[in-house]
Amino acid sequence: MSMVALDNLAPGMVLAANVIDKGGRMLLGEGAELEAKHLFIFRTWGIIEADIVGVEGGGSDLLPDDVSQEELDQARESLLPLYRHTDIEHPVISELLRLAVLRKVRHVSQ
Amino acid sequence: MIPTIESIVDKTQAVYSLPLFYDRLNEKINHPRSSLADIGRVISEDQGLTVRLLKLANSPLFGYHSKIDSITRALTLIGTQQLRDLALAVSVMGSFSGIPNELIDMKSFWKHNIACGILSRSIATFRREVNQERFFVAGMLHDVGILVMCTAIPDAVRGILLERRQHGGLYYVSEQNSLGFGHGAVGNALLAKWKIPLNISEPIACHHSPASALKYPLEAATIHLADIISHTMGHSLTADWRVPPLDNAAWDLLDIPVNQLDTIIRQSETQIEETAAILSEAA
Repeated sequence: MSMVALDNLAPGMVLAANVIDKGGRMLLGEGAELEAKHLFIFRTWGIIEADIVGVEGGGSDLLPDDVSQEELDQARESLLPLYRHTDIEHPVISELLRLAVLRKVRHVSQ
Repeated sequence: MIPTIESIVDKTQAVYSLPLFYDRLNEKINHPRSSLADIGRVISEDQGLTVRLLKLANSPLFGYHSKIDSITRALTLIGTQQLRDLALAVSVMGSFSGIPNELIDMKSFWKHNIACGILSRSIATFRREVNQERFFVAGMLHDVGILVMCTAIPDAVRGILLERRQHGGLYYVSEQNSLGFGHGAVGNALLAKWKIPLNISEPIACHHSPASALKYPLEAATIHLADIISHTMGHSLTADWRVPPLDNAAWDLLDIPVNQLDTIIRQSETQIEETAAILSEAA
């Protein structure tokens, strides 16, 4: 998997897998080269990421380039007390916490 | 003396009442011979409500291309039941507008509840539920019990808030410890008195204990999850509010892939801001 977030997609990138919306409709096939109008269509149909050829690394964590691991750790540290009654090992809570950390970091950097 | 749920609701009823028109609206909707125009006329009698409903109908919440400029048109496009449910949410919010900010910040309170409503609606949309507005209403009113208690037993609420702050605990657990019941039950009792349908009141009653919902477990699970998500998005009553624990059975019931949570949050985000702006305008 080399998912790239919608915001980081650009014309010229090549799809490594079909782009399918949540209703199962295929929007664009594997091997297609992205054009500007495709990005517009993805946005309209609620696609948030696409599998792109030649992109390294696992999972799109939608990280802005200028965010450091240190900032992430700090944000996580400051949020943890709010989660003390939850099971942060649970996949749902762990995902919500991850998103909350990203949100906090982005908010600060803006 | 420890107050009972009944005494709290009775005390509140003297202060806040659901606008009379809601009964008449229901009557019209349920009457087999009434037309859309008849129903539209009942809503249009309340100008403030009409304005807010039209603004909601034209907001990204619905995303219609053409402008919806009349209640009749809104009824046609959105549906009578759905518009009735939206009218209910707007009316209840309006009837609680007089609560002083001293105990809880009303702006944060409604932001949290609106966020929960929009998230519930997004979850319902993802699950392809019919009539998604009832999810919005149940989410948007899930904490009204807190407002009722602020009005009827302000000193007890002050004590509970203080204990929560000092021990860093969960609000609904502190409620349970000091009173023996929580804001879910209180909200439910008031809504039952107002004859709000069970598919809205039961999920509200059970939003911290979704396993106890007998008739609408799916709705209760939806509100339960939406409440948790809205806290993690930072839409809480106070900045140090603890995220409530997730009920595993409720999560399993909803059957949502974990990686959809990000999408649900993203879809809800702008709608939360817009809806909060429209609804708090007139207050």
